[in-house]
Amino acid sequence: MTDPDRARLLFLHDADVLPGPVGALAGLADSVDLEVPRHPGFGEHDELAQDWDSIADVAQYYLHELELRGGPAPHLAGAGLGGWIALEMAVRDQARFASLTLVAPYGVKLFGRMDREFADILLLDPAEVVALGWANPAACHGLRMPGLPKGLDDGEYERAFEDRATIARLAWKPFLHDPRLRRWLHVLDLPTLVIAGSHDRLVKPEHSRELAGLLRGARYVEFPGSGHYPYLETPDEFAEAVLSFVSGRQTIGATQ
Amino acid sequence: MKLFHFTEMPYPYVPPEAEEAHRGLKYFIPNRFYDPVRGYELYQRYLDEYELADELGFDLMVNEHHQSASTLHVSATLSAATVLSRTRNGRVLVLGTPLPHRESPVRVAEEIAFLDAMSAGRINCGFVRGVQGETFPSNQNPVHNMEMFTEAHDLIVEAWTNHDLFSWEGRHYHYRYVAVWPRPYQQPHPPIWVSGTTRQLVEWTAAHGYTLCNLLGTYPDTAKSFRLYRQTAIAAGQPEPGPDKFAYLALCHVASSEEEARRVGEQLTWYLKQGRLRLGAANPPGYSSTAAAVAALRGKLGEVRRYSFERLVEEGILLVGTPDTVTAQLRRLYDETGVGNVILMNQAGEMTSNQVRDSLSLLAREVLPAVAPLGRQWQDEDTRWRVDRDTQPVETVLASALS
Repeated sequence: MTDPDRARLLFLHDADVLPGPVGALAGLADSVDLEVPRHPGFGEHDELAQDWDSIADVAQYYLHELELRGGPAPHLAGAGLGGWIALEMAVRDQARFASLTLVAPYGVKLFGRMDREFADILLLDPAEVVALGWANPAACHGLRMPGLPKGLDDGEYERAFEDRATIARLAWKPFLHDPRLRRWLHVLDLPTLVIAGSHDRLVKPEHSRELAGLLRGARYVEFPGSGHYPYLETPDEFAEAVLSFVSGRQTIGATQ
Repeated sequence: MKLFHFTEMPYPYVPPEAEEAHRGLKYFIPNRFYDPVRGYELYQRYLDEYELADELGFDLMVNEHHQSASTLHVSATLSAATVLSRTRNGRVLVLGTPLPHRESPVRVAEEIAFLDAMSAGRINCGFVRGVQGETFPSNQNPVHNMEMFTEAHDLIVEAWTNHDLFSWEGRHYHYRYVAVWPRPYQQPHPPIWVSGTTRQLVEWTAAHGYTLCNLLGTYPDTAKSFRLYRQTAIAAGQPEPGPDKFAYLALCHVASSEEEARRVGEQLTWYLKQGRLRLGAANPPGYSSTAAAVAALRGKLGEVRRYSFERLVEEGILLVGTPDTVTAQLRRLYDETGVGNVILMNQAGEMTSNQVRDSLSLLAREVLPAVAPLGRQWQDEDTRWRVDRDTQPVETVLASALS
């Protein structure tokens, strides 16, 4: 049964993250109606997604799904790749959402043409992604990549390769961003929380902070004990920050 | 049997520690390790060798790779133009233009037509998907590699054979007005060659009746790949493919004694050094099936690179020895696979120009005439690869040495 007074939170997952309510999301599900869908083309072959060639296609798909389902406006959240999808959705139809939470999102190129703003997650070995993505790489969990964790069967790794192929299909060039998205950020006028981990070297915190500065009314919060996956690495702080934000308490973070 | 001379034109002067630090000689190695003067000398030397090979009666092959110290050919069509203007007799095989990595198929159609037109039809036109790592220099989406290959091919053939102005709004390529000048000298277009081992590509090549080239496969793997081709061609209603529809590339060195041939020929294995590319580069996302990607993850691909010298000779990948030995290897290759074109990679690493020239001269004197008659009367022969003698089920070939 859905409680009409409970906030509804749609959380869009990142590349390389296990399906479902991982880390802090499991705890959040006690307090909000949480949905963590698997993006089409991830985890299994998806005929529909074969024809897509941009993150905007994924955003369009989710907006259409929400429209079909109706109901109260959800809080929209996304991490990394999912943050990019969330931004694409918001610039297309922000009236549909109660708020926007972005965790170190890809999608917007902010710096110079020779600055590598996003680590090459489609080239680097899993150990390199972990080293760049975690404050404490030894604590890594909740991720799935080709060959990571070790000892899985071929089918599991085939699914991880399928995920990689889907990311390549959607975001190969320009790499992990779409210049069209930046052009429309100025239209956004939603309560927005941007979260980064101080140790994130996949998308550096400077990038997330700068992005928050481009989003009207956005708050920026940085977790010193986290890398790219604060919902996995510092789940309690993450859950508290998101709950405060979606419940309107907004006790954390500095307005940009 | 026709023999082609080929060198990848390597730049052999990169310090080993630089090679180690940059995970090999390809795609990600900074060009500060290239010396312009030594590079000039290498180009002249390699082109002189092409010129000699042509005078000795070989056909010639050029290719291209990018951002690589193991190949200084940067455009197969540029190399072909250079080799054509230095030679008079041999056919120049462009194997090949990596279609998915070139921005404009129309420009490829123009360049090949130009080469063919100005040489009175000395061009064999090879199209390739580009090995996996080429994805990074070109930055073309690996997911679309095969689709771009076939669409670019379709557009190029249309540009050569459709003599009206036409438009093309495809999945990957968009032109409102296409009319390529010049037309190729060979009509309707130069012979098309394709290299590859994946089932999809072999079947596609067979269905079009193009020449299929296997690079550095073992005798049995090459035979399997060619059997798949023959059976697909027959099923598509084509006549039984003869030896001219097949090509094979091997590393080659001959000398007057086995010892001398081995002493020099061992340097050819420079080309087979195990790469240290990341898995993401050796197997970019979506380039091949997820099953093939897992095989790569498990270290099951590129097995050839781990073979010993003796094994490489036994498998026919290294054609090394006296002229009699190499002639026997080529006979065996013909007997087991029915191949009619053999591309000899006569140089690798630091092999000197004199070593290459000596080998070319000996090959021309003793091996070329001995193997030339192979396959001329193939329809009268009772060989194991003839379609009506082939009753085994077709198997897919996994291993490519070249990723």
